Amino acid sequence: MERAYSRTRILVTLGIILTLIMADHLRSPTFAFNSGQGNVETALMQRDETACAPCGAPCPSTRD
Amino acid sequence: MADSAVLQPGFQQPGWQVDRFIVSTALMGFALLGGLIWLETAPFMVALFVIGTVLGMALYHGAFGFTAGWRNLVVKKRGASMRAQLLLFALSSLIMVPMLHSGQAGLVGAVAPVGTSLVVGSFIFGIGMQLGGGCGSGTLFTVGAGNIRMVVTLVFFIAGAVLGSIHLPWWLDQPGFDPVPLVNSFGVSGAILVQFAGLGLIAWWVNRIERKAHGTIERDELLWKGQGHGLFRTLLSGRWPFTWAILILAAGNALTLAIGGAPWSITFAFNVWGAKALEVVGVNMSQFEFWTWDYPAMALKDSVLTNIPSVMNFGLLLGAMLAAGLANRFNEASRNRPEGRQFLAAVVGGLLLGYGARLGFGCNIGALFSGIASASLHAWVWFACAFVGSLIGIRLRPWFRLPD
Repeated sequence: MERAYSRTRILVTLGIILTLIMADHLRSPTFAFNSGQGNVETALMQRDETACAPCGAPCPSTRD
Repeated sequence: MADSAVLQPGFQQPGWQVDRFIVSTALMGFALLGGLIWLETAPFMVALFVIGTVLGMALYHGAFGFTAGWRNLVVKKRGASMRAQLLLFALSSLIMVPMLHSGQAGLVGAVAPVGTSLVVGSFIFGIGMQLGGGCGSGTLFTVGAGNIRMVVTLVFFIAGAVLGSIHLPWWLDQPGFDPVPLVNSFGVSGAILVQFAGLGLIAWWVNRIERKAHGTIERDELLWKGQGHGLFRTLLSGRWPFTWAILILAAGNALTLAIGGAPWSITFAFNVWGAKALEVVGVNMSQFEFWTWDYPAMALKDSVLTNIPSVMNFGLLLGAMLAAGLANRFNEASRNRPEGRQFLAAVVGGLLLGYGARLGFGCNIGALFSGIASASLHAWVWFACAFVGSLIGIRLRPWFRLPD
């Protein structure tokens, strides 16, 4: 059966995604904290329990 | 030359071929990303990454697509996939509603306001499902399995989600009211029973359609055994009976709640990815109200590796890739590249999916599956409006030259 994809394209695509994730992580407060910098606010447990929806939206009743 | 090769002794079974390149690439990606999450975040994030991977495998091997299931009911008058979804909702409701109200601190259900935003968003999402070719989970697992058309859908899904996040505050100011947890009115047992009654009513309606069209009902959703390849081979290479996928998806969502503190969701991550991309090119996202709310602001500021939906989505993509490799079907759906109107359908569908998901407080997973598992009224409104939107999407498919 003929291969339906290019191996190189798969590896390049995954490499780009991993690079983007790393780039995002290296400039994040979590990385700064892990590197020993103090005074950074990380958000490992990102949640707002007072929000009205999973996306963090406020309740309609609280809006002006 | 084909990349696939017969499995080596120990795994070898007659006629079973795996795509070793895809399987080893997926496993390498899993190890690299899993290791990074382990080193930089916390063990519970690794657990959620693994759960995402298993869910990706279950979605692929179970062929658990919400979009095709709804279309099968409307076009072919077959309801097995729809009934499988209803069974999944019932089982998750039975497990997760008591969990959420057990008094354990730190667990938050998928509840959301009911109003204009929800109705419009879920309706738009329903149209997008049929044009884009998948819902939230469907788009991700088909992308993981190498479907190029769905990559186009995903890119525009992300774009639509960011646009939706910018407009959501305006939509929230339109008529609507605060979340309605059914538990507040009926208690835990009562809420579960009310939901069972609702799901039963839908199942009765689905059966009626199928029986009227075909005279009998195919009970594929109740099958326990695979298609004659043995347990081990079926588990690794598919196709799974619906029951296996139902059990894994229900368990996965319950574990996500227990470990992550909130039920499974997918599309919020698309918002974060899109907003981060815009920030890279110089857009200040904090000028938009949505990105000043606590949770979105936290997610935007910190690493994607600390954002639960993102981490689970990465796992889901790799899990689907692994499953497609084990089934030797990676990229199989992409032999014919999308062109012309089919490409346009992926663009329009993706935009509608993203915009609709943001206005509707999630997709088929975050709003519908997790919403019903949290006994929230908004999930039922979402279900009805998305189904109506889906009917319109199905009518539009022939113009876009999409097959039924």
